Parts: sequence; structure tokens; C-alpha cells
Amino acid sequence: MFKKKSSSALSTAASYLSAVSEADARARAHGGTPNSTPALSLSSSLTTSSEDTVLDESGAEVVNALLYPRLPPTSEQVFTTVHTEFGHCANEDYRYTSQHRAGTSYKSNAEQDPPYYILLTTYLSYLMVICLGHLRDFVGKRMRPSFYKHLVARNGYAALNSDFDSFYTRRLKSRIDDCFSHPVTGVPGRTIVLLDRYSPDNNATLIPTGTRTRALNISSYNYLGFAQGKGACADAVEESVWRYGVSSGGTRLEGGTLDLHLQAEALVARFVGMEDALISSMGFATNSTIIPALVSKGCLVVSDEFNHASIRYGVRLSGASVRMFKHNDMQSLEALLREVISQGQPKTHRPWKKILLIVEGLYSMEGTLVNLPVVMELKKKYKFSLFIDEAHSIGALGPHGRGVADYFGINPRSIDILMGTFTKSFGAAGGYIAGNKALIDRLRLQGHSGVYAEAMTPPVLTQVLASMASIMGVTLPAEKTVSPALPLLRSSADLHMPEPEPECAYPGTAPAAALPSWMPLVPSLVDGSDGRVRLRRLAFNTRYLNRGLRKLGFITYGHDDSPVVPLLLFNLGKMAVFSRMMRTRATPIVVVVVGYPATALVTSRVRFCLSAAHTKEDVDTVLTACDEIGDVLDLKKAAGERWPLQEIIDRAVELVNMLEVP
Amino acid sequence: MSGTASTLEPLFSFVTSSYAALETNFFKIPGSAVVARYVKSSHQNDPGRTLLEVILIIFAVRTLLQSRTRADHSGKHFIQFNEQEIDDLVDEWSPEPLAQPLSAQEKADLASVPVIVGPTGPKPKLSTGKTVTNLASYNFAGLAGNSVIKERAIDTLRKYGLGSCGPPGFYGTQDVHIQLEKDIADFLGTEAAIIYSQAFSTISSVIPAFCKRGDVIVADRGVNFAIQKGLQISRCTVRWYDHNDMESLEQVLESVEKERRKKKGPLTRRFIVTEGIFDHDGAMSDLPKLVELKEKYKYRLILDESVSFGSIGRTGRGLTELYNVPASQVDMLVGSIANGLSSCGGFCAGSSVVVNHQRINGTSFVFSAAMPAMLSVAASEGINILRSTPSILSTLHDNVRAVRAVLDRVDCIAIPSHPASAIIHLTIRWPAPATLQAPPAGASPGKPSNPLSVLPRDAPQFDVELEERLLQDVVDEALAQGVLVTRARRLRGQELVEARPSVRLAVSAALTRKECEKAANVVKTAFVKVLGKRR
Repeated sequence: MFKKKSSSALSTAASYLSAVSEADARARAHGGTPNSTPALSLSSSLTTSSEDTVLDESGAEVVNALLYPRLPPTSEQVFTTVHTEFGHCANEDYRYTSQHRAGTSYKSNAEQDPPYYILLTTYLSYLMVICLGHLRDFVGKRMRPSFYKHLVARNGYAALNSDFDSFYTRRLKSRIDDCFSHPVTGVPGRTIVLLDRYSPDNNATLIPTGTRTRALNISSYNYLGFAQGKGACADAVEESVWRYGVSSGGTRLEGGTLDLHLQAEALVARFVGMEDALISSMGFATNSTIIPALVSKGCLVVSDEFNHASIRYGVRLSGASVRMFKHNDMQSLEALLREVISQGQPKTHRPWKKILLIVEGLYSMEGTLVNLPVVMELKKKYKFSLFIDEAHSIGALGPHGRGVADYFGINPRSIDILMGTFTKSFGAAGGYIAGNKALIDRLRLQGHSGVYAEAMTPPVLTQVLASMASIMGVTLPAEKTVSPALPLLRSSADLHMPEPEPECAYPGTAPAAALPSWMPLVPSLVDGSDGRVRLRRLAFNTRYLNRGLRKLGFITYGHDDSPVVPLLLFNLGKMAVFSRMMRTRATPIVVVVVGYPATALVTSRVRFCLSAAHTKEDVDTVLTACDEIGDVLDLKKAAGERWPLQEIIDRAVELVNMLEVP
Repeated sequence: MSGTASTLEPLFSFVTSSYAALETNFFKIPGSAVVARYVKSSHQNDPGRTLLEVILIIFAVRTLLQSRTRADHSGKHFIQFNEQEIDDLVDEWSPEPLAQPLSAQEKADLASVPVIVGPTGPKPKLSTGKTVTNLASYNFAGLAGNSVIKERAIDTLRKYGLGSCGPPGFYGTQDVHIQLEKDIADFLGTEAAIIYSQAFSTISSVIPAFCKRGDVIVADRGVNFAIQKGLQISRCTVRWYDHNDMESLEQVLESVEKERRKKKGPLTRRFIVTEGIFDHDGAMSDLPKLVELKEKYKYRLILDESVSFGSIGRTGRGLTELYNVPASQVDMLVGSIANGLSSCGGFCAGSSVVVNHQRINGTSFVFSAAMPAMLSVAASEGINILRSTPSILSTLHDNVRAVRAVLDRVDCIAIPSHPASAIIHLTIRWPAPATLQAPPAGASPGKPSNPLSVLPRDAPQFDVELEERLLQDVVDEALAQGVLVTRARRLRGQELVEARPSVRLAVSAALTRKECEKAANVVKTAFVKVLGKRR
């Protein structure tokens, strides 16, 4: 089956193989383990032999461990991906299936409180930087008024931003600005290339140094590893650019609708198991422009307290009333539902026209999944409509990658609206809304984006089509007999199909007719093996890091199957130190640190986003780094049984496959 | 008796021991002796005070522990139900369906949307199999399908992949984004620029980033939907002036100033929000006058150039180039990369203070993934092309003139658009004595509209349904003759002011002058044919 591989892929693999064996030989000669010593001189000589596999590394500090796998592939292993974009991992043990165990109730890890002294020092540190900030403002305004020019009213203009409003940004956030908005280049895949910068004036300006650092990327929303510059999806996108250009030329209803839009919408509907779907060119706008078309004055939105800003924005525009319930707390939700239904609208007590419950499938700051089984029971009883924002969960959860409904084994048609984005799992951009046909047609006409927002561009649509088809697998039309009534013939034509599936089955495959005829179909995409491997690798990495961190003694939030792993830091200052220590390791790692106002004041955290592109060794690297930094920063405060690092690394498979971690 | 005493014995001893433990622990806390001494002496002096203080402490603790969302329970409108009653009410409640199915009219509306098969451009192929002249898509400079842009985009794809996989704050800022921001700022001549990943969401994020509750915004009555949403979300005080009427603007500015002086309120931020070329009708703002007024009354100007950027001026820099006003005089210049540069996204250009403020406060910038790298590069390349080939824009302007020459003097068409505008709105001109557009009786032209209300005093009267239907006939007729035009789609019922139904043409530099004339003639014939039938 590999004979069909394009010649470029073969040459890539060949040059890569030689590079790896060379690296391996040299590493052995030096007698060190390749990953612990970056061996700069050695690696720079290597890049010349494998220009094809590595992005332009001129000036980049090359780290060996990131460029080549620790063990060189054997002769029967063929990898078609670039290791820096999508890691090579042939070990079939490092796979898992993301699925809720039937018969158990959903439970995320208990949120452990840190010792009191940590809370106390956290509050104290806030107090200290706030006092210090005010002191600096006080002195600064008198000594260096030019620095405050934009904060005070000047010749009749009020200040654009008052010094009070911007205090947090100026005096707290700016201290750790070097951890945010770091410019990068290249594919945000398994590794990412940072454009180094330095600040001569305490982060007031950050100046690029011109050098680059390749770092292990555990920050990008690249759950299934589709952020790739090479491979089937990129080939399809290239073909689409040649054919379509990069523009769709207008709004959907005013001449911006291409055939690609219809194909992508049909495929998305099939993917999520709904009747119909519509596509919007921006993920944020999907919520902010569609929710106002769903609810209006006299309707009630019941919203989880940690819902994303785009949902709040959309609800605010809609004019509907909003009530919030405690994050993922089903008792609080039920109590609220009983109250609002019995009380009706405020003052008038008329019954609500509609009640729309908006929840997220996977909460990107908490790592928790929505307790969908209970929500569905409540839905039956209280008759509200359900809107699930699957921005993070689509693709990342479930045995077939169909999101949170797939994960819990719930029929998606019993949910009213499924919303999701293509930014995260599909390596594209934009979002979708799926539901029944009448609803989606109404949203096409009355959602703001159909009339006024630019339509999604052809390359993005193609990436969506290709990556989605890759997860689903493609049903090729049976040879000669094109009758869809004979599924048995099809399965015999394609032996890789696990079992014949009827056309519209959920979760089924994508019929070849649903894809553009020009799209190149490689065998691994057609039989769905590429997508399956991605899903299973992500599930393994996810569970491994979640459980590994807890075995090391860290306080983490969320669920073991959540690819977003928040590790609690608590102290304000630890955010910056953690991020810098990770970035300046021998094998640099980039992480996302989040604090107030995105989280509660005391629950500053670092957030890891796992990807199918990571190998088990990459997760080992992250665990090792966390273990060391955790000791320095005094972060291991969780109760429960602990394992030493080496044991976690050695018993990873066992750890992942445990039903419950004691 | 002794039995109970013996059973209570362990309890007593527990109480005593725990009291002792509490006492010793309490005295271990530094400073506790002082507290104890104070309590003791104050109790000695005035036992009543101890009681009062204990009550105070209990009250304070209760207040602290009280739930903050309690307001709804204790409100005077809250009705206490028992569980059974709530169950009954829950059973009784039946919600409306989430969406009403489409009416026949709406279905036809949706079905009339043209579908382009293959690439969009000056001569696309439709799903009906017909190849048509495209006067519907935004492709002002003819950049769609440009082969240089395609090549650059593919190069970028191979280096960066497609998606940016993260918001700009978390490793989503790629060097190509920084480059595009720089390119836009250089092109317009501002200090800096910031890019958003969708044009529609740009201005509705820019406005609330700066305008907060209590600030004053003076806005045109004809602003586009995105601006309306931005104004709505910002929750500031909005005053309206008549559409594109600078005198009305001055009156409103004067009245706001008067109001402020009367109230002696603090100095608040004040903004004028308007568009360069209005999306709703193609009218053009008088930028020099706007700048003059803004400086006179100390306002900041938020100018939406979503239509004019890339279509107006010698090289497509927009209104600032046309009127030769330095772009730095427009405080926030918002434009569309999707329309003007045939890529995707929008931008806001301005001073670096303005731009940096949005990097933390621009909602859809912060909470959304950055634009795909290849589209960013395509936009940069688009700017390069505009810069290096001014002939593109002169072709476009020639084409616009050609189309206008055909359509300007047609009895049944009224054109509210500016002669230079690359989007041309065609509305129906009813014969003078028509009942539909009778001038309201007793109109006194001197009296201004109420700035508090978005509705103008003498709102033009028109029959939306009838006009939309006729215009759709015109569109269908033009399509049958091989010219793709579109009705200007609106969100009827959701807009602040209902815009007059119109057919919208978007002229492109990718068409020749001949083709434009021919297409315009087709549109003209369609209008005459459809409206002639009714007479």
C-alpha cells in the first residue's frame, strides 16, 4: 500500500533515515544519551544532510532531541511525517481510546486546595505588587510625567485608557509580559520555533534578537496534530489554492458561496451526526453572531459560569436574560432550572419563551468535561434546548473523535445545537453550527455572519474537508457497481474497513462523492488509519500526562481524558518563573501560563495542551521538566500516592490503562 | 442519675481537654495575649459591650458568608413555591420551538443564493452550469486568483501549515502576522496596525475596546450592522446624526457639548463613529469636514473603511488618500482585508497606543485564533501589488465610471452611491406621484431630528416586501442574461434603521471597460423590463 506514496515523501523518509542513523552513530560514539545533551556542534553539522526534514534552521539553535526521535526507526517502519511537526511513534502500546466507561457516572478529579501558607503568600504577593505598583505610579507621575502622557486628559481629550483601568495591565501583567504573545514562526506542530527577544526596560519594549529557538510545543491547540506543512492535508490545500485562489469574494448570501462551502457543510453535518450544518469564517464569531439569532428578549440563557467570552458576547447581543450556574455543578443547575421555570420572567412572571442551556464540551481553562449524561436527563425533565460549544472537544474526544457526545455514547441528534471550531483539532480556522435542517436554514438567513461576514476562504475549507475525511475515512465507490444498496461489495473492495457501514451511519465514513473530485486521496486517509492513529495517540498522551503529573504530586484540575491539562501554580510569581524555566531548559518547552482575570485570583495555572503529534518521549520530557521545576517551586502539594519519576516513565502504559488511579 | 453522669463523663472530659488544647494553641499565636487581655478588661468594664461585640462579629461573618447571587430570592417579586408546585409548573411549561421553520418566501430567499462552482473571479461558473460576468463578489482590485499571490500562499503553507492553532497571546502570533501589521501601517502611513481574523468582528470589537459606559459616541444613522453591534455592546451613550449630513453632525456635537457644560460632568471620552463608504448605500463621507469637526469639538474619529480600503484613492489606500488627509488624523482606521485585499480578516490602524490597547482589550482579538499564515502573506502580497501597480485602481475607477454612465440616467433607478464608489446600490425610483413615496405632509426642512433616537425625523417610506420581490426579479433577469448581481441582503427586523432595498453591484478591476458596460446594460434592461411590467 505504500507504493502509492509520492516520490517526495519517499525521499523525505530516506534522507531522514540516513540523518537519524548518522545522528545515532555519533551519539553512541560520544557515549551520551542523545536527549540529555543538546550537542550543538554535532547537530549543526547534521542539518545539512537533512534539509528536507527540517525547516530553515539558519540561525536557529538546533536541539537534537527535538529534531530526531530517540530511537531511530527500524527498516520496516516508514514515517511520512516530519518529526518536528508530527512525532514518530511506532509503539502500538502507546495508544488508548478516549471513551467514557458505560455504567459509571462522570467524575472529574477532585479540586484539591493547596496548603494555607500558599494561599496566604499568594494573597500577600498580590498585595505587595499592587502596593508597589501604586507607589511606582505615585513617584512616576511626578518624576517622569512623559511616561503617563497617554493616561491623563490632554488638551480637551479624555485619556483613552484611565490609569485605574490599566493598572493591572501596566503594573502586574507587564512584569511577566515576556511569557505572553511570544512571536513564533513555522508550523505550530510538535515543536515550534520561537523568535527570541529581550527587554532592556522591564518588558516595556521587547526587542527581537534575530535568533531562533526550537522548542517542544505543548501550548498550541493542535490536538490531532493536523498543523502540518507536509502531508495529505497540506497537499490537498495546495491543490485547492491552485484551483480556487485564496479568496471566496464576499459574504455567503451575496455571491460568496462556493461549491466548497456546500461540500464542507455537508461533511461537517455528517461528521457530527446532525442533519445540517453551517460554517462561519471565525470561531469567535460563530458564537457571537449566531446566538443572537437563536434567542431574544423573553428568552432565558442558562450558562455555565466558565463559558467562553464569545458565548457571553453573543448572549449580551441577543438581549436575552442570563442566569449562571456553578461550573459543571449539576445540582446547582437543577436548582436554578426549577427556580427559573417556576418563577418565569422577572416581574411579569410570564413563562419564558425558550430556555437555552449553553455549556462547553471541554472547558479550556479547567480541563473538565461537561457532565453530559446528567444534562441529558435534566433536558428530558425540564425541556430546555441544549447548545454545546465543542470548540475544544470536537476531534479531541471520543473513540471516533466526534466530540463529547461520542465520548459519552450519546446520540448527537438528541442535542439541539452542536457548535465547534476548526482551529483546534483540524488545524484550520473558523467554526460551525450543526442542528436540524429548519434551524440551520433559519440561522443561515438570520445569523449575522451569513449576511455580513466574509465567507470562509477555499484553503481553509479544504483543510477542513481533508482533515475531517482523514478522521472519518473515505468510502470509495464500489468498482463498477455504484449502487449504494450493496455495502458488502464495498467492504470487500477495501479490506481495511473494519466493517461495512450504511451510508448515513453515525459515526460513519465520508463517501468519496462528498469530497471534491480533485482532492488527492492517499491510502492512509482512505482507510481512516491515519485518523485512528491520531485519535489513539492523543488519548494516550492525554491520560499519561494527566496521571503522570498527579503521580508526581502536582495539583491538576479536570478530567483524565481532557487534552487540556491545567497544573495549578497559585502564586503569581511562579507563573513567570515556571514559564521561563521551561523555556530555557536544554530541551526548551513552551507553555501557556494563565492568571487573573482569566482564572480566579488565587488559581494561577500553567496549561498544557497535548497533541497526537507528541510522542511518549515528549511527554516524558515534559514530566521530567515539571518534576525538576516542581521541586524548585514547591508545587507538589497534592495528596495521594506518589511515584518517583522513573517509575512513572517505565510504567506509563500500565498507568494509562488503569481504570482509576488510587 | 449516676448512669447519665457516667455516660456523659467522656463528653465532659473531651470538652475540658479540647478547651485546654484550644487555650494553649490560642496562646501560642503571637499577639494573642494582648487580645485576651483586651477582651478581659473590656468585659470587666462593661459586660454589655461584650454582648454587642459578639453580635457585631456574628453579623459580620453572616454578611461575608452570604451568597452574592441571593438577590433573586429575596426580591419582592419572588414567589415561594413548594416542591410539588414547582414540579407542576415544570410539567406545565412548554417552550417555543428553538426555530420556526422557514416560510415559503424565506425558502425562496435562501434558494436564490448563487453558488459558484470553482474559483470566484470576474467570470465564475455557477452551479447552473452558466458562466457569468461577476458584479456581485468583492474583488475590487482583481486580486482574487492572482498567480503571484497563489505562489506566495503555497510557499507559506509549506513552511507554516495552515492554521495558527492558538490565539495571538499564546504562541499564535507568527512573524507573518507582524509583517502584515507593519505592511498595513506603512501602506496607510500610521504608526501601527493590528489584524483581526474576521472583518465583521473587527469594528464590533474595536468600539467596545475604547468606549465604556458613560462615554459619548456620536454616530451616523446609516452605519453598518457591525458598528451597530459594537455600539450596543459598548453600552455607552450614543447620539445620532442624519446620514452623511455634516450640518446635522455639527448640531449634534454642539448639543452634546451644551449638555456637558450644563451638567458640569467630568471629561469623558468622545468618539465620532462613521464609515468611509457606507455599506448600506455607497455614500461617501466628507473626511476633511469630519476631521475638522472632530478637532474642533475634541472628538476621536473611528472610521470604518471596510468598503473604501482597497477601492478608493490612487493606490487603494482609501479615503485618506482620496482626500489627502494624513491617516494619522483618523484615530482608529478600521478596514477589511477580506474585501480590499481578497484574503480574510480585518485591521485597525492608528497610533501605537491605540493598537497596543487593543492587544489586551480587543475581545475578538484576544479570544480568537490568529489568522492563517498563508492568508496573512496573501494580504501582504496584495498590498505589494497595489503599491507597485497604480494602474489597477485607475482601471477600477474607469470601470466604475463606465457602469455609472450607463445606469445614472435610467428613469426607474435611483443611485444613492457616490460616483466614485466601487459598490453601487441601485434602488427603485418610483414615478413621482407614486403613493409609496409621498413626501410626508407638512415637512418643515429646518427642524433637526432627535439625536437621542436612531430614527430620523422624516423616515423615508417604502414597502420592503414589494421592493425586495421586484429587485429579486431584476437579479434573476440579469442572471438569465449572464450577469451575476445580488440584492443587498439585510437582517430585516434586527437592524436599527431599515435600509432601503437595493441591488448591489461590486465593480472589479479584473473586468474590462467593455465588459462592465455590457453588464451594466444588462442590469439596466432587467430593471426596465421588471419595472416596466408594473406600469
